[in-house]
Amino acid sequence: MSRLTRLLQASGPFLGLLLVCGLFALTEEREFIFTGGNFKNILTQTVIVAVGALGMTLIIVGGGIDLSVGSVVAFTSVLGAKLLVAGWSPAGTLLTLVAVGAGIGLFNGTIVAGLRMMPFIVTLGMMGVVRGAAKWLGENQTINAPPESPVHRLMARVNPSEFWPLPWGVWIVLGLAAIMALVLRRTVFGRYVFAIGANETAARYSGVRVGLVKGGTYALAGMLFGLAGLLQLARLTQGDPTVAVGLELDIIAAVVIGGASLNGGVGSIGGSLIGALIMALLRNGTNQLGWQTYTQEIIIGVVIVLAVGLDKWRQARAQR
Amino acid sequence: MHSPMRALALAFCLVGSAFAADKSYTVAVIPKGTTHEFWKSIHAGAVKAEQELAAKGTKVRLFWKGPLREDDRDQQIQVVENFTARKVSGIVLAPLDSQALVAPVGSAVQSGIPTVVIDSDLKSDKQISFVATDNFKGGQMAGDHLAKLLGGKGNVILLRYQVGSASTEAREAGFLDALSKHAGIKVISSDQHAGATRETAYQASQNLLNRFGKDVNGIFAANETSTIAMTKALRDIGQAGGKVKMLGFDSGTQSVLDLKNGDVQGLVVQDPLKMGYLGVMTVVQHLNGEKVEKRIDTGVTLVTKDNMNDPAVADLLAPPIKKYLKE
Repeated sequence: MSRLTRLLQASGPFLGLLLVCGLFALTEEREFIFTGGNFKNILTQTVIVAVGALGMTLIIVGGGIDLSVGSVVAFTSVLGAKLLVAGWSPAGTLLTLVAVGAGIGLFNGTIVAGLRMMPFIVTLGMMGVVRGAAKWLGENQTINAPPESPVHRLMARVNPSEFWPLPWGVWIVLGLAAIMALVLRRTVFGRYVFAIGANETAARYSGVRVGLVKGGTYALAGMLFGLAGLLQLARLTQGDPTVAVGLELDIIAAVVIGGASLNGGVGSIGGSLIGALIMALLRNGTNQLGWQTYTQEIIIGVVIVLAVGLDKWRQARAQR
Repeated sequence: MHSPMRALALAFCLVGSAFAADKSYTVAVIPKGTTHEFWKSIHAGAVKAEQELAAKGTKVRLFWKGPLREDDRDQQIQVVENFTARKVSGIVLAPLDSQALVAPVGSAVQSGIPTVVIDSDLKSDKQISFVATDNFKGGQMAGDHLAKLLGGKGNVILLRYQVGSASTEAREAGFLDALSKHAGIKVISSDQHAGATRETAYQASQNLLNRFGKDVNGIFAANETSTIAMTKALRDIGQAGGKVKMLGFDSGTQSVLDLKNGDVQGLVVQDPLKMGYLGVMTVVQHLNGEKVEKRIDTGVTLVTKDNMNDPAVADLLAPPIKKYLKE
């Protein structure tokens, strides 16, 4: 793929973001929407979906899907709260949650690759298993983390009406995005993920160890999902077994709005982040305009279909 | 009408806000969800306050906004944050969780936006007032009435609503507290949760009745959806109509119908319209520099077939929503 087409592909979502900004700029509420404090809001609200989208991009580029994200986030948030209550250090909690996320991912990946099962089905099952496990672990209760725990600072908005300082979570997303973009574009592993997503059989015949790469993909994404669980815990100051129901769909939507194809082989980290940002911005803006909740749902739904439709159209034109 | 107006005017003079006459405020009212009839009554109450204040020369622009996904804490946090950024004059919030919403309310107050908490309590001292039903008392009322209907003995099921919801947990605690005074009453199940929707509540009810349907004599469900669902499940197995005494909480079109038909023996009802009304009034009073009470009780009433047609009770059962909401 030439540099130019890649640029075009990445700029599509960005143009979408500008379009949404432009539409909100026409409203009377712009004086509230376009403020530093509100953009800090939007960025903070994007963090959890964005961290999930980093992992999901990897999986979708590799031709897979993971429906268990929301459940993993809930499970790790409950586990994290329990560990913090038991007196664990924030660092120990972080490492444990990331490891647990990786473990669940590795399990998914192993079944998908080893038994050659549809990732949709495997992770659909896992979604239920992990959700149930979260409720079991939490004994059907939300677990309140110690209110003074330093973990909460990850998502705390100091000085809410100013843009600076941004919460740690936002910087974490930016740092991880840079790393993931490098992994996807500049490493052998990343090239293999693209190759498998584009044509698994061809990749296999070219000597790519498909099972290993798939396991690695789901495990690496799982690490990010575990981290998202810690961030969710920080945001709610509690582990909640019922949190993040349907989060996987928000994440998949972000990745798809960002230009990825569910057929695999196409997608970018930057696009997915912008996809997540577009959804948060739409939610935030329509909130402040005082629009009804159902209009938001309809608009976001339309945007998803529109984004993918435009992408198809652009691809068709590029091929001509 | 005149004396409260004069009192209001006097209050303005006392705090010395000379520009009070053409005051205009934006108030965000944030419910837990928007599909329950309960929240529509809160909405109607808020609109009632808006209209009354407008008549007195205080313009209030209301934002009515629930979380995008019903009962999703993170989404409700986002709504609070967004209205904080929107720099509304005040927020009236029914928090989905007593802890998770503490930080966003803190941020709102830090940004100079006074917040009144309604319906469910918040583990914080930042809110200027808590306007709600005494839910524990409501639960006790249901327990006492059920004990009376059962003659002080029998097997009872408590269908809980949802984990982490302070208001319903207080009702459940009050109910169990009242029953603990009756040695002849045995609680055979009190650990099942109905969940957020009618569908989840219906499933939980069916499952419970499948297990305990032969033994149970009385049931209490802690909110509107679970009351409706449990009554429906009782009808399915032919135990409705008073064979099993059914007590519920809150009123909706369906549960009032069930009460009239005798499938429900009693409903403990709150006054959501008053809650929405007082929520907005309290935040505006605070904005006007008046002193407000830290805790405002909006009252509970036990409604049975006998008193359901009293005009005051009838207004509680079917709050005049249409009068205030055009939809």
